[in-house]
Amino acid sequence: MPAISVDTLTKSYGQTLALSDLSFEVEEGEVFGFLGPNGAGKSTTINVLLDFIRPTAGHVDVLELDAQTHSREIRSRTGVLPEGVETYDRLTARQHLEFAIDSKGADDDPEKLLERVGLHDAIDKKAGGYSKGMSQRLMLAMALVGEPELLILDEPSTGLDPNGAREMREIVREESARGATVFFSSHIMEQVEAVCDRVGILRDGEMVAIDTVAGLRDSVGGGTSLRVTVDRIDDDALQAVRSLPDVGSATVEGQTPPTLIVQVDGSKTAVLSTLEDHGIEVQDFATREASLEDVFQSYTTDTGTGVEAR
Amino acid sequence: MSTDTATGSGETTAPSSSINLESVRAVAKKDFQDAVRSWMFWGLSVFFFVLLVAVTGTISYFGEEIAQQGATTEALVLFVSQITRLVIPLIALILGWKAIAGERETGSIKILLSLPHSRKDVLLGKLLGRSAVLSVSLIVGFALAAVVVAALLGSFDIVDYVALLVMAIIYGLAYTSIAVALSSITRSTTIAGAAMFGVFILFYIVWNAIQTVFQLLMNRGTIDGVSYTQEVPAADGTTQQMTMERLPDWVLFINTIDPGNAFQNAITVLSSSGSSELGTSFPEVWFANGVPFYLENWFSFIILLLWIVVPMAIALYRFDRVDL
Repeated sequence: MPAISVDTLTKSYGQTLALSDLSFEVEEGEVFGFLGPNGAGKSTTINVLLDFIRPTAGHVDVLELDAQTHSREIRSRTGVLPEGVETYDRLTARQHLEFAIDSKGADDDPEKLLERVGLHDAIDKKAGGYSKGMSQRLMLAMALVGEPELLILDEPSTGLDPNGAREMREIVREESARGATVFFSSHIMEQVEAVCDRVGILRDGEMVAIDTVAGLRDSVGGGTSLRVTVDRIDDDALQAVRSLPDVGSATVEGQTPPTLIVQVDGSKTAVLSTLEDHGIEVQDFATREASLEDVFQSYTTDTGTGVEAR
Repeated sequence: MSTDTATGSGETTAPSSSINLESVRAVAKKDFQDAVRSWMFWGLSVFFFVLLVAVTGTISYFGEEIAQQGATTEALVLFVSQITRLVIPLIALILGWKAIAGERETGSIKILLSLPHSRKDVLLGKLLGRSAVLSVSLIVGFALAAVVVAALLGSFDIVDYVALLVMAIIYGLAYTSIAVALSSITRSTTIAGAAMFGVFILFYIVWNAIQTVFQLLMNRGTIDGVSYTQEVPAADGTTQQMTMERLPDWVLFINTIDPGNAFQNAITVLSSSGSSELGTSFPEVWFANGVPFYLENWFSFIILLLWIVVPMAIALYRFDRVDL
């Protein structure tokens, strides 16, 4: 049973296409990481889920309800941490939570919620004096009001220090253990890989990959990232490297001197000899295990086009 | 799973949201709390208190003749209504201009709408919250001043005093409705501010000019005036009938639409204050066949009611249909 079902969703602003035929599902009870660089369309998608904006085409169901016609019921069963939002300067943390509790008809204790997010000390201070991280904690606490079935967290780590980000992930795990579905967006792979069951990668309004964290790792060769510094590079050589059976992807980084980043799952010497066969001098090379960050990079940065420009 | 099949998948739905009174109350309460914590609320209460006490003091000091006639509360209502007529729109527009546009600009409207409130709930809650700020400060100011006013004035007419308070609250509600409605049409507080300024110009300057323009048009014969006869005392002590011309009823009606005129006309219905000094007050001789119902003073209540309802109704319809 999907908690979120997005079906051929398109959103355009005049000539600009923010989302293009986006389709994916988030299963009930899973922690889903919605990953993509800034401007990929993550917030646009979340805005449609919450009926802040209306789709140009396509259909969205949340908790098996139409996101447009049943928005109030969806939001009564969902906790939301919106992105890029200012809290109410003149209200205290307690008043913010009382408002959320009142609005949802819940009976939570503001003090306990604020203790959970580590903001108990500032409970009666006005939010106007909060740092970005404190505001973020406050909004996380508001999202937790009423034990929601679904949590939608838009860039929840914004403004948090590493310690705060870790605490946030801890809360995501607790909520997931309680049985909640968690949908959270980020532009940093590190934030999602530790906690997500599945990850979807969005780029230019389209889903370019959707898999488990392990599956994603495998999909890009699973093995090693090879970094080769060369005196020059041309299209033929790059194509030859890409067509090697063990090579998952090859990208060019930097121009003086050019550096090749090659995801390779097997013989590295084949890559080096192919380059030399094309008359390219290898000046230096290094290898390292592919991280999820490389996976993210390979999906969200342009591959190959940099070379033709020369 | 979906029960309602869309007529065409490419069609954009613009659903009409529902109104939930609990939600309206929650939003209004939050908005009121937010405002009460600002200097605005207490500043306003003190302002109304000082206004009433100052006017009363002036009347009791200079107005011995008025006091002898026992009409001091009437004089108070007259002076205070002239001042509040100009001041309340300013306050309401200042209180309301950021109501929606401000929350859209800072993004905090997403906090409101992440919670189970509809967009209509938010608009109505904002209207109630903001007008409550003005109303409660009016009540506080009037209540505190009542003691001083009653002590200073020879005769204190509670009905006139309360009538002025009630009408000031309704007048404030009308302008708050205009302000919140205009604030919801844009996400830029700059544009919202400009719209407030436009309203201010419209009713402080343009509306008065309209009457002058029609007067000129009538004198030039472009529009037909209405003739009426009036007895005018002649030089030899007798009276003589004179035929004169006035603006037609519909031009007079335009004059009564101004919320400020409606506010003062309505006061004359509720209180014993002289109708000749307040609002539009047309002479009886103008209407040989009786005053049309829409020019009677009670109709000003309908006009004020429409100023509350119409801007809000347009905003409620439109705000459901925009991307935030």
